[in-house]
Amino acid sequence: MTSLDTINVQVEQSHGNVKPILNEVMHAIDRLLEAEEPTVIDLAGLPFGPGELERLEESLGRGELHAELDALGASHIRETAYPGVWWLEHRNSAGDVVGRYLEITRTPEILMSQDADILAGRARLGEMLGDKEARQ
Amino acid sequence: MDLLEFARGPALQLSIYVLLAGSIWRVLGIALLQSKPDYSEPRQAGGLGGALKVIWSRAFTAPAFKKATMYSKTLGYTLHIGLFVTIFFFVPHILFFKGIFGVSWPGLPNSAIFFVGVITVGVALALLIRRMTHPVLRLISNFDDYFSWFVTILPVATGLIIPIRFGVRYETLLAIHILSVALLLVWLPFSKLAHTFLIFMSRGTTGAILVRRGAKT
Amino acid sequence: MSRTQTLGEILQARGVSRRGFMKYCATTASLLALPPSMVPRIAHALEHARRPSVIWLSFQECTGCTESLTRSASPTLEGLIFDSISLDYHHTLQAASGDAAEAARHAAMEENMGNYLVLVDGSVPLGNPGFSTIAGISNYDMLVETVGGAAAVVAIGSCAAFGGIPGADPNPTGAAAIQDLVTDKPVVNVPGCPPIPMVITAVLTQFLTFGQLPELDKHGRPVAFFGQTIHDRCYRRPFYEQGLFAETFDDEGARKGWCLYKLGCKGPITYNACATMKWNQGTSFPIESGHPCLGCSEPDFWDKGGFYNPVSTASLGGGAALAGAAAAGVALGAAAAALSRRRQARTIKEG
Repeated sequence: MTSLDTINVQVEQSHGNVKPILNEVMHAIDRLLEAEEPTVIDLAGLPFGPGELERLEESLGRGELHAELDALGASHIRETAYPGVWWLEHRNSAGDVVGRYLEITRTPEILMSQDADILAGRARLGEMLGDKEARQ
Repeated sequence: MDLLEFARGPALQLSIYVLLAGSIWRVLGIALLQSKPDYSEPRQAGGLGGALKVIWSRAFTAPAFKKATMYSKTLGYTLHIGLFVTIFFFVPHILFFKGIFGVSWPGLPNSAIFFVGVITVGVALALLIRRMTHPVLRLISNFDDYFSWFVTILPVATGLIIPIRFGVRYETLLAIHILSVALLLVWLPFSKLAHTFLIFMSRGTTGAILVRRGAKT
Repeated sequence: MSRTQTLGEILQARGVSRRGFMKYCATTASLLALPPSMVPRIAHALEHARRPSVIWLSFQECTGCTESLTRSASPTLEGLIFDSISLDYHHTLQAASGDAAEAARHAAMEENMGNYLVLVDGSVPLGNPGFSTIAGISNYDMLVETVGGAAAVVAIGSCAAFGGIPGADPNPTGAAAIQDLVTDKPVVNVPGCPPIPMVITAVLTQFLTFGQLPELDKHGRPVAFFGQTIHDRCYRRPFYEQGLFAETFDDEGARKGWCLYKLGCKGPITYNACATMKWNQGTSFPIESGHPCLGCSEPDFWDKGGFYNPVSTASLGGGAALAGAAAAGVALGAAAAALSRRRQARTIKEG
């Protein structure tokens, strides 16, 4: 028994959280297919034993799409190996993880361009074009 | 002042004073008793040597009684050793004694202490059942016997519950544990639990007398 | 910043995109331990929330609580929410001083009668009103006057919550906790020396979003952040269980990161979120940095038997008391023996 790494913490010993979550995900996919009902699972609210979060991430795997969002810090959004199941990881401007979610949906809402932003962008574009016309 | 502060503060302090005063009272009260002078010729030198010899030898059952007393002796020894280990080899306890006496010694891992504690409680229950079912013990056991048993086991049991928690706050369980120790300390000098120190006096006196008379001990 | 602007408008004016706002609402829900289904409600509430008036009163304090909240290297989410409230009165942060500052306070109180939040740091000295005054007004008088029209009071830091360092033995100023002085308004305690900044903002966010205060424990602390002991969430707990302790601050155990129980760690009896939320945006916390927990979010932690004495050390009241007990024992023992001998002598005489 020397340093923290060599403690005999049995990572193999499951606290039993991975399987129920995967089951929940499976039922959420059913709901999505049958009723177009999306689900959000907050991973921060679940008690994971050492290594379990990593095992969950491994089980879900990586899909074909991933996106990096830069708003109030970086956020990483990717579809897992199961289409419709998205892994979202939010970081703050200091780089620390402030949220982890599973979204079972066709597209996570945060990926979609938002009305307020579209309107603001439209206003900016209009201004810029207006400028150009005035100079001409 | 909340319950824990009371338990660790005034309650524990008072119980230690009572333990100290009570123990000295009993020891002195017995030591200063007048004994009938023995005018016979000593067959061997009695005195301190004899006393020490019998204090040691009485720990072991005489061969004639071994079989009959095996069960209760085994349980009894297990109980006492279990108490000794859980009290003196659990690190927070060692730190408690260090705070009072300034000396400390290595402890055992918590899981080992917990294991020994469970065995101790189990053995204590077996002894209680024996006391309540054995035809002779039933008749001769009094309040002192039962209450002393209760007061000794309560600290061990409450100590075991602390890591298990049962949804109760740690502070509450710790306060109850310390209060149970205070109860033990207060009851000890005035009950059969005083055998803690009196056993040395009684065995010693017996030894001094018997050895002087030439008995083989 | 106009009082009439909603939070949503303010964030937009600062260039925070809708996505950024959504991210903020999602992580706020996590912070408040609320399910993701509450996010739309949080978003709606924050968007339309008028900046609540907040009056911050500083009494017998060291300003550490304000420092904790405002000291951030880069703009963080908690900094954002803090900026979005209407902080109408704060000694350290306000530009005004003297009469102008007090006038601002009164104006805020009148305009928002019944709706403003009072945040207090520092204890109130009851020994003599002159011990701590602001603009010639004693702390007690200012507290009573300001709290009169408040919706709720948040006592920030251990001084305001429990008396803190001024209240430590022998408490020369007669320092009192806010909850002992304010009995007719809801009081939330956010103790710590200082408290974790995220906890302060979470309480404010809860109030902003839902117009109510979080669930509190018996010491008036939000259960969401003060419901677990440090010990129960400490990453060094396996060492405690295995009996591996650091004995001094630079020994092998200390360097290997073993349990600090023997060095006086108060983790087992301290309720706070340090072990999970940590400090400086999740960088570390005292135990992880090698120092035992002081128990700073607990009442009277300064007088709990010394920072470097283990939790299980007893205080025995000194040698004099023990000597007294021993002497009593001797007296009783001698008396008992004397009585017995007299009875014996009488029996022999009669016999």
